[in-house]
Amino acid sequence: MTRTSPLAGVKTDTLFVNLGPQHPSTHGVLRVGLTIDGEVITKAVPDIGYLHRGTSKLAEVRGYHHCVVLTDRWDYVSAMPNNLVFCLAAEKLMGLKIPPRAKALRVLMCELNRIASHLLFFGTYGIDLGAFTPFLYAFREREMVLDLFEMCCGARLTYNYIRLGGVMVDVGDNWIAKTKEFIEYFKPRLDEYDTLLTYNPIFMVRTREVGKIAAEVAVNWGLSGPNLRGSGVNYDVRKADPYCGYEQYDFEVPLGKSGSCWDRYFCRVSEMRQSVRLCEQVLATLPPGEFMAMGVAKVPKPAAGEAYAHVEGARGDLGIYLVSDGQASPYRMHVRAPSFINLAILQEMLVGNKVSDVIAILGSIDIVLGEVDR
Amino acid sequence: MTQEELLSRLSAQLPQLEKSAVGVKDYVTMRLKSASDLPVVAEILKNELGFDYFEIVSATDWLGPVKPEGYIRNPNPNVFLPEGATPQNMPGATPGVHYRPVFELLWVLANIKEKIRVFLRLEIPRDNAEAPSLTGLFKAADWQEREVFDLMGIRFAGHPNLIKILTPDFTVGHPLRKDYVHVKDKYDED
Repeated sequence: MTRTSPLAGVKTDTLFVNLGPQHPSTHGVLRVGLTIDGEVITKAVPDIGYLHRGTSKLAEVRGYHHCVVLTDRWDYVSAMPNNLVFCLAAEKLMGLKIPPRAKALRVLMCELNRIASHLLFFGTYGIDLGAFTPFLYAFREREMVLDLFEMCCGARLTYNYIRLGGVMVDVGDNWIAKTKEFIEYFKPRLDEYDTLLTYNPIFMVRTREVGKIAAEVAVNWGLSGPNLRGSGVNYDVRKADPYCGYEQYDFEVPLGKSGSCWDRYFCRVSEMRQSVRLCEQVLATLPPGEFMAMGVAKVPKPAAGEAYAHVEGARGDLGIYLVSDGQASPYRMHVRAPSFINLAILQEMLVGNKVSDVIAILGSIDIVLGEVDR
Repeated sequence: MTQEELLSRLSAQLPQLEKSAVGVKDYVTMRLKSASDLPVVAEILKNELGFDYFEIVSATDWLGPVKPEGYIRNPNPNVFLPEGATPQNMPGATPGVHYRPVFELLWVLANIKEKIRVFLRLEIPRDNAEAPSLTGLFKAADWQEREVFDLMGIRFAGHPNLIKILTPDFTVGHPLRKDYVHVKDKYDED
């Protein structure tokens, strides 16, 4: 007697699954329409725009000083680089000279903010993959950075600290002492994270062979930040197009090897070490002097012209293209949002993966929906 | 590589480009003579000169000052003004600026290895806003061109999936155009 398969004659069909918009692992309001065949994804369509607030349009009727407030709302977990990039572009238009102390403070704040942002990634990525403990550790340290920011400028997330011409207020000796204290406390914590999550065997199995991006694919999709460097491409705006005096500090650009989820994760964790190094150097060489340039107009009306500035934000190459026609508001503001451009690769990356790996891949890209939709 | 070296190399290899009269500060800005040259120029830049990183595509509407009707509420309120005072003015036209019915497109291509970038610009007429798509060369152009299409209403010929990306389905028009007028929808007050 020959045996026939119990599935002979059974018709199979693909299934459409909605991931989001309110899913805890999408870190905001992102919808991904997944078509799955059994466990394997055959098509993925990211749907964004739920958080679109039209900041480019708003900027066209706001003064330059007001626009800095708008920038806080893009990447709300690392708002300092947002402030900085708009100020750099506007200062190019106005031809302002920034005092050295303001430059150093800008670098310091951006690096502290990078630590806070990567800590958020570290914690939530663990949760995405079922490890709850690292989250509690990460948030303990992140809270300290946010306390430093609160002490310095009064806000925990939307700082509006970097202003046209410099920074809002100077930092006091008390703040500098607290920051040094935090850095000393934080350095051994990084090794603790490695034992908790980085070299955790379960975590490594779930991420090492998943979501691999080849270097040329990463470049072609325009990825930036740790997502690009995880694939081994050495591109960091702080090195390639230095701003605010980054060229005078000594730091390395951590690179990944295979472009897997683990490599991207590891780049971020290694970047925190480099940020700590940068913070130490800035604190050791903080120049005295003014924290704000002289003669910044209350209602700046830069001469007609165009400027482009970009910085290495926590998520990648954040750029601003500003056009002025001589009025008190920018004529046009275009934002190169790294999260938005990094997210685009998702439609290609998810295809062929298992459903259970979607969250691992999505989490490793580390998007902030406020910046995706602007 | 200095800006002059890059400029001379570009003008030697690419006769379709000329130095832009109005440049982006601190960067080499080139103007495309016609829209049909773009795919050829981009291909040479990518394959022969190593500009393989697609950084930006953006567009500027040069029609003139923005219309207040494009905003749902008072676009520039000043809560500190005393009762009865005149509110702040909307941006007006600046004398001397050449406002004209064109869109000015801007592409930024970067060479990661040599740490240089080039800005390409192109003017297209406002009534027939169409430009060639670069999605065939750079995947990064996919969503960025969709964004420009959605907000500015410029069609990219050859784009495989040119649909809205940021604004909701019921939004009428392209919000970043200077003459955009907001059409009331179900989410507006009163």
